Amino acid sequence: MSGLRPVAVNLLGVVEHPELGGTPYRVDCDGRSYVPAGDGGIVLGPRLGESVFAWDADHAAPGACLVHPDQAARHALAAYSCIGNQIVVRTGHAAGARGAVLGQRGEQGRVIAWLAPEDLARMRPSDQVAVRACGQGWRPPGFPDEVEVLNLDPAALDVLPITAAGVGGTVTAGVRATVPSKLAGNGIGRPSVSWDLDLQLRVPFRPEDASGGPAPGNLLLGDLVAVSSLDARYNMGYRRGWLTVGVVVHGASPLPGHGPGITPILTGPQEVLRARPDGAAHAGLTEAVIRQLTAAEVQLQ
Amino acid sequence: MKVSSNAARLVSQVLAGEVWPALADRHGFRVGPDGQPFSLPGMGGVTLGVHCGDPATGYASDHLEPGASVRHRDPDANMALQFLTCVGNQVRVESGPAAGAVGHVIGQHAYVLVDFAGAEMAGITTGDQVTVTATGQGLALAEHPAITVKNCSPGLLADLPGGTRPDGRLEVHVAATIPAEAVGAGSGMVSEYANTDLMGAYAGLGEDLSLGLEGLRIGDIVALQDADHRFGRGYRPGYLTIGVISTGQCMLFGHGPGPSSLLSGPADAFGVVTDPDANLASWLHQGQEWSR
Repeated sequence: MSGLRPVAVNLLGVVEHPELGGTPYRVDCDGRSYVPAGDGGIVLGPRLGESVFAWDADHAAPGACLVHPDQAARHALAAYSCIGNQIVVRTGHAAGARGAVLGQRGEQGRVIAWLAPEDLARMRPSDQVAVRACGQGWRPPGFPDEVEVLNLDPAALDVLPITAAGVGGTVTAGVRATVPSKLAGNGIGRPSVSWDLDLQLRVPFRPEDASGGPAPGNLLLGDLVAVSSLDARYNMGYRRGWLTVGVVVHGASPLPGHGPGITPILTGPQEVLRARPDGAAHAGLTEAVIRQLTAAEVQLQ
Repeated sequence: MKVSSNAARLVSQVLAGEVWPALADRHGFRVGPDGQPFSLPGMGGVTLGVHCGDPATGYASDHLEPGASVRHRDPDANMALQFLTCVGNQVRVESGPAAGAVGHVIGQHAYVLVDFAGAEMAGITTGDQVTVTATGQGLALAEHPAITVKNCSPGLLADLPGGTRPDGRLEVHVAATIPAEAVGAGSGMVSEYANTDLMGAYAGLGEDLSLGLEGLRIGDIVALQDADHRFGRGYRPGYLTIGVISTGQCMLFGHGPGPSSLLSGPADAFGVVTDPDANLASWLHQGQEWSR
């Protein structure tokens, strides 16, 4: 869809209340039961730039998860919302507060909304949030045809460590680390526009889990991470010689097959899409970047 | 399998199920690995002509579920049916022209999957009621405490070749060994429900998609490398999971033929023997006529 202009759609998200079944327990990868804290809803504490292992929580995201009471509308909210999309709180104590989409989560669909900590602390479940969804289907001008961009607001590309050498050239993303596709857990085989992909990383970190770059044990919320041999153009799945780059949007999980999750933003053949391990110098989606994105006045088209 | 177990202490529960229809939505098409749209049968209903021992791939099908796909109408009763039913459990048809036919569970895939002899299968359709005699959850191997048993009936355990070796390992025969890269959808789910789709088995598609798994057969016993399914399905270096291929061909990307989990533990607790005859067809339905 090269050359087509993206449209923006105002969607309504409702702040989620966490849900548990009749028993509070989940079972971790060593067979121990635990009560999941931080899995959805409004989570106070985690901040972008902190380690994905910093909190004893399950899938905790730095922000508020948005859903919609109608399941089909909820899927659309998750599918069309993109990283960097501007959001405005419409109701409740934080009405008027502005933030941005940080990413999404799968299953029934959730959008992770970043808000400044002082705004987040004033919110409660059922608060309404407007999302200016824009980005799916967008192709940046001058991008090589082989590389797909997804889940990314057009304004967000410029503030992330991504450079394109033009049509026929390569795209390079600065990343914290590259991990092999065998670490891909929950989210594999699911549509990349509406699910995140959990990376099965846990502490203590095992050196054999990384291929180049610093230990994923240092993975931070908001980091860009590359996954080798992963194609995320449609559903996410194994493809030799392919590379996918995503943004880390939530923290680790004790559950087997789960872990810190990435929202994919770039996918293409490894000859065209390159990952550059930046090590300790890496800066991905930081609070400073988000504040830059939210500083502009919201345009309602 | 020559191994001591608590099989004599396990109860059986009589469960009810219903052959569930194939389901679709108004949009029709789903998307393959290269973006190719497809609309293909295979999941739900009664899928004919594919039995244990037959190739898992090579069909114009998606999420091929051999035989009858069974659920319960009540959501909670359905979870009991899905969790408690084990591979090898006996299933009897209660209604319709095939009433009285007896088949066996070959795995789970959000449905209980039941293989019947071909002549009987032809008379089964959506809505037919079945009875499952569920036994196997809780099965434990006292001499192999590091190994957890999942979804395996005592009858299947007895049929499997191998057993306790003099060195203390559990000898298991497998038809194929699966690399960790192949694990697709189903990772992160509980081990007693659905199965682990294997990527790299897209017969007829690109070489860059292949992990050499196109030769899998329905019913094959396989070893999943670096997979720990003791408490849910996850990647874990140094662990091994033994499963049985219960579903076949997929076009949906990130999906593929899937093993239901049977045994899981540290790799060094097992002695794996490659054996092309390690297939449910070697033990189930002995003496029955397999017309297609």
